[in-house]
Amino acid sequence: MSKPAKAGDPAKGSLPFEEALKKLEGIVEAMESDDLPLETLLARYEEGARLVKICQEKLAEAEVKIQQLEKTAAGEMKLKPLDLTEE
Amino acid sequence: MSKLAKSQWNFGELFSPAEMRKVLSVSELTGNVRALLEKQIGTVWVSGEITNLRAQSSGHIYFTLKDAGAQLSCVLFSREKVSQRELLADGQKVLLQGEVTVYEARGQYQLIVRDVELQGVGALQIAFEKLKQKLATEGLFAAERKRALPKFPARIGLITSPTGAAIRDVLHVVQRRNPALEIILAPARVQGDDAAKEIAEAIQTLNEFGNLDLILLTRGGGSLEDLWAFNEEIVARAIFESAIPVVSAVGHEIDFTIADFVADVRAATPSAAAEIITENVFVSRALVGDAMDLMQLRVRRRMRIENENFDSLAGRLARLHPRRKLDDSLQRLDDLQSGLLRNLKTAARSRNLVLQNLAGRFLRAKPSNNLKVRRENLKQLEKRLNSLGPEQVLARGYSITTDVASGKVLRDAAKVEAGQKLKTRLAKGEIFSRVAE
Repeated sequence: MSKPAKAGDPAKGSLPFEEALKKLEGIVEAMESDDLPLETLLARYEEGARLVKICQEKLAEAEVKIQQLEKTAAGEMKLKPLDLTEE
Repeated sequence: MSKLAKSQWNFGELFSPAEMRKVLSVSELTGNVRALLEKQIGTVWVSGEITNLRAQSSGHIYFTLKDAGAQLSCVLFSREKVSQRELLADGQKVLLQGEVTVYEARGQYQLIVRDVELQGVGALQIAFEKLKQKLATEGLFAAERKRALPKFPARIGLITSPTGAAIRDVLHVVQRRNPALEIILAPARVQGDDAAKEIAEAIQTLNEFGNLDLILLTRGGGSLEDLWAFNEEIVARAIFESAIPVVSAVGHEIDFTIADFVADVRAATPSAAAEIITENVFVSRALVGDAMDLMQLRVRRRMRIENENFDSLAGRLARLHPRRKLDDSLQRLDDLQSGLLRNLKTAARSRNLVLQNLAGRFLRAKPSNNLKVRRENLKQLEKRLNSLGPEQVLARGYSITTDVASGKVLRDAAKVEAGQKLKTRLAKGEIFSRVAE
């Protein structure tokens, strides 16, 4: 996810995984301090819970997506689903 | 016996001139043979196995090339520029180009070797070393050129056989560790004559398609010949020119192909490559779970502390409340009241006691009670009086003298005057007298 929006990606209104994860780590670390005002702590918690949800959604894919790339005679690129049952 | 008296050496007409042999010297014959061979056969390519190789101090190399049915003497002169000269050894299968001729001094036909091509695995290894050397010099293997892989690849290109074991291994690992990964397969043969070209083209096609975080080039284990496509120059250059980072995982752990050297990352096996690619996402699963737990822990702990603080403050506040002071005063009042009451009771009690005392005494002193007692008392008093009175003293003979006029009792004789009238009381009676002098 180091590149910006890629063609063919599922609709991504939310943060890319890597960024969400990094933010989450930052929040958890910040919450370690006992000096935080209580309101700030709770606000961070809320933000962190939201990021956890985003990350878990992205990790929730159950099936690997594999497609085969074909270049037609005209030079066009086409993706077609791959059937690996033939051995 | 002898027909004619000739010399025993004169055979005369025994052989007709027509039958006269052409007699060659050895040199002549050998020379003929040599010319014949050089003309009729000349330069040839011949294959066989080297045996009996001897390198002379002169630098010339002599050996015998043989196969199952025959053998051929060979010589490689030191002046011949043959690149693999130092690799000629007994047992090496070779293709030789050379001229068939005769070494006349020995009467031996032989091959003068002009060129050598090594055959079999040895040849492949040589070619491998040569290409490796060449590409290294050009900088294709340079460490600085290698690009880091994206930490969280979302979409990758895959170049491998769609029917091999490698693709199954890769998919299993990815399914287990990061099923969200998208894979774009550009299939290619991974061994055989066309493999190198197909692989190079697949790399180029994936680069054209673009939008990939990396390309995984992989195949399963095999012999050196099987893996040979990954040692071809065309593949090496395609990898080098790929704008997308390439991960190479060819064969088993111990196999190193030129593709491995050029690639940005080399993995030991297809599964290992898949693990490297999915590593960070896999690890982050645990991190995300832990993050939730940690945050909840921290908030709960903080709430507990806050609650404790609050209770403590609330307690202090309550103690300082004005109502509390009032309560204190009320309680104090109660205390004082009880105290007062107690004291009053005590005081009352002791007065009672006093009264009772007095009452008691009073009762004891009542007259109606004790006429008898009084009479007794009187009698007693009388007795006492008697014992204290003069009767008993008078009875003993003493007397009491008093002045008649004053009635005073006389104790001192000197105080009496002549003519003074005296009364003397005796146990019985009295005597009246006048002082003589």
